[in-house]
Amino acid sequence: MKRTATALAVVAVTSLVLTSCGRDEAGGGGEEQSKAISDGAATGTIEVWAMGTEGDELQAFSADFEEANPDAEVKVTAIPWDAAHNKIANAIASGETPDVSLIGTTWMGEFAEAGGLMPTPEGLVDEADFFPGAWGSTEVGGTSYGVPWYVETRALYYRKDMAEKSGWSEAPQTWEELHQFATDMKEKGGAEYGLSLQPGQTGSWQTVLPFAWSNGAAVTNEAGTEYTIDSPEMVEALDYYTSYFDEGLSPARMLDPGELESGFADGSYGAFISGPWHTGLVEEAGLSTDEYAVAPLPGKDSGPGTSFVGGGDLAVFSDSDNTDAAWKYVQWLSEPETQQGFYDTVGDLPAVQAAWDTGELAEDPQLQVFGTQLETTEAPPAVPTWEQVAATIDTLVEQASKGATKPEDAVKEMQSKASSIGTGL
Amino acid sequence: MTATATEPRQGRPAKDSRPTKSRHVDPTRRGQAVAAWILALPFCALFLVFTAGPVLASLGLSFTDLRSTDVRNPLGVEFVGLTNYADLVSDPLFRKVTLNTLLYLVLGVPLTMAVALGVAVALNRITRLRAFFRVGYYLPVVTSIVAVSVVWKFLLRDNGGLVNVMLAWVGINGPGYLDSTTTALPTLVVMAVWRNFGSLMVIFLAGLQTIPKEISEAAETDGASAWATFRYITLPMLRPTLLFGAVITSIGYLQFFEEAFVMTKGGPLDSTKSVTFFTYEQFGFGNYAYASAAAYLLFLAIVLLTLFQFRLLREKD
Repeated sequence: MKRTATALAVVAVTSLVLTSCGRDEAGGGGEEQSKAISDGAATGTIEVWAMGTEGDELQAFSADFEEANPDAEVKVTAIPWDAAHNKIANAIASGETPDVSLIGTTWMGEFAEAGGLMPTPEGLVDEADFFPGAWGSTEVGGTSYGVPWYVETRALYYRKDMAEKSGWSEAPQTWEELHQFATDMKEKGGAEYGLSLQPGQTGSWQTVLPFAWSNGAAVTNEAGTEYTIDSPEMVEALDYYTSYFDEGLSPARMLDPGELESGFADGSYGAFISGPWHTGLVEEAGLSTDEYAVAPLPGKDSGPGTSFVGGGDLAVFSDSDNTDAAWKYVQWLSEPETQQGFYDTVGDLPAVQAAWDTGELAEDPQLQVFGTQLETTEAPPAVPTWEQVAATIDTLVEQASKGATKPEDAVKEMQSKASSIGTGL
Repeated sequence: MTATATEPRQGRPAKDSRPTKSRHVDPTRRGQAVAAWILALPFCALFLVFTAGPVLASLGLSFTDLRSTDVRNPLGVEFVGLTNYADLVSDPLFRKVTLNTLLYLVLGVPLTMAVALGVAVALNRITRLRAFFRVGYYLPVVTSIVAVSVVWKFLLRDNGGLVNVMLAWVGINGPGYLDSTTTALPTLVVMAVWRNFGSLMVIFLAGLQTIPKEISEAAETDGASAWATFRYITLPMLRPTLLFGAVITSIGYLQFFEEAFVMTKGGPLDSTKSVTFFTYEQFGFGNYAYASAAAYLLFLAIVLLTLFQFRLLREKD
C-alpha cells in the first residue's frame, strides 16, 4: 500500500513537471524573426531588471524616457550580480520574465538558445554604430538577440615614473617588448614584480585569451558549433603567459582584494592588465595621473593586441507582454546622447561609438585609450556552454601557472574537456 | 495509531473479557485525530509541494539529459537511464570532489566531536560563569559566515596576516594557508570546527546533565579517577547522545559547502571543492540532470553512512 502510494506520487510529480514545462511550444532557439517595431510613442508598463550600479541608477535615469512617452512607465528592479544568472535562468524556465533585462555578455548564448530572448527587430538600431566586438556578443548562431548597452575592455596599466627609471619612455608594443619591460621594471625600476598577471582561478581566462587572440587563436570555429582551443597559437600564448610566473616576473599566488591597487601604488607591481574601473581605484590608492599611465595591450609582433571585450547587453524576453514598448526603451538607451548621459551618471563606457566623439569622454586621455583598444577586441563565443568551459580554462590556466601541468598538456586538456561538454549549438 | 492504542500490548494475556480486536474507538479520540490532521494539513501540503515534489522530480530528472537550454522545449529531453551516474563515476572532477568530501568527513567529524565533548564536560563541571562560556562558544554558530570568512581570511593572509605575524615572532615562517593545495582543506576544516562545534556542545551538555550525579559521586567515593569515571560512566551513558551527534555532524560534513564557497571558491586547483559544491556548480552551468544525479549519489552516501553508524554504535548495547 505504502509502496504503491510512493510509486504513484513519483509518476504524478514527474508527469506534472514534464507537462507543465511542455505547455510552451515557442521555445528552443529563435528561428522566428521579430517584426519591426511600430511608429509612435511607447505605452504601458515596461518592467526592467538590472544589476550593479545600473540597477541602482536606471530608475531615476529613465525619467527622460517617461517624459517623452507619457503613457509609458518604466519599473526597474535592481538585482545583485551574484544572483542574476540563476534568477534570469529560472525566470526564462518558468515564463515569469520582465520585459527587458541587462544580460552579461557571456550569458547570451545560453539564454538565447533556451528560447528566452527575442531576436533584435529589423531596423531597431544600426549595427555599424556599435563597436564590432560588442555587437558580436549579441549574436548567437548568426542571429542577434539584443543590443550592446555598455562595454569594458582591458588595457595595460603601468607606473610611468618607474618605467622611465628603467629606461622606457613609451609603453611596450609587442610581446617581446612587454617581457623586456617587465624584466626591466623588476631589475632597474625597483618593482618586486614587473607585471602582475592572474595565475588562474575565476575569470583568469579574460586575461589569457587576449594573448591567444592576439596570436591568431580562436576558441570556436566560425559557426560556434565546435571548440577549437587546441592550436599551436593557443599553446604558444599560454606558454608565453606562464613564463611570467616561471621567471618570477608575476606573483604566482592569488592577490587579496585591494592588494593589487596598494601594491601598484607602493611600487611592488610595476604593471598590470585590467579594465577602465581601475583608473578610479588606482587614484584612490594614492597615485596621480603623472605617476601611472594606461596603454593598449601589446600585440604579438606589433601593437595593439586584441583585447577582451565584455560588458552588458540589453535584451527583450520572449515572454514579455509589452515587446513594442520594451524595444523602444532599448532603442532610447542606445542613442548616443542617452549613452553619454548614462556615462555621466554611472561611468559605464558607451557601446555606441558616436558617444565617444564629444563630451567628457573625448577629453579624458586615459578613457580614450580604452576607446582605441575597443576597436581591436574580441568577445568570448556566445555559446550556451561557455560559462562551464571558461571555468575549465580557469582551472587549467592555474595548473599551468603553478607549473603543475605543461602548457601544451593544459591546452590539450582544455580541448578534450570542452569537446566533451560541446558548444550546445 | 488510534486503533492500536486501545489494544492490549502483545505478549501479555488479556486480563479482561474485552475482545482483543475491538472496533470501538472513543469518539473524543476520533475528534482529536481529525483535528490533528486538519492542523497538520497545511504543513503536509507545503511539504509535498515544496520538498517531496522537487526531491522526487530531481530523482526522475537524474535519468534524463535535461539542460537549462531544454527547459522551454522539453520534447527534446530524452530518457538516458543511468548515463549520468556512469558519467559521474568516470568524471575526474567528481572523483576529486568525492575524495575531498571524504577528507572533510574524516578530519572534521572526530575533531568536532572531540572539541564539543571536551568543552561540554568542562562546562558541566564549572558552576561559575557557565552561561558566559556557553554563549561564547555558541556565538560562532549564529555569526554570519560571510563576516566570519572575511575576518579569517584577513588573519590567515600570507603577507601581514596576524597568524603569520605571530608565528614570525617565534621564528616560524608560516605558509599561505589558503593558497596551497595541501593546507587549504585542513584550514577550512579548522575553521568549520571552530564555527560549528557550539551547537553540538549544547546537545552534549544536555546529555551530560541527564546523567545522575549520584553515580559519579558513588564512583568517586570508591576511589575512581576522573578519567576512569569519564571512561566507564560518562561515555557509556552518553552513547545515545554521541550517536546522535555523530550522525548529524557526519551529515553536515558530507554537505560541506559554505566555508569553501566563501573562502576559497573551491580552489586552489579544486582542492577544497566538495560534492555539494560540485552539484551547485553544475546547476549553475545549466546541467540540471547531471547535478541531480550527483545530488542523489550524495544522498545515497548519507543514507548508507547513517545506517552504518547506527549499527556500529548500537550493537554494543
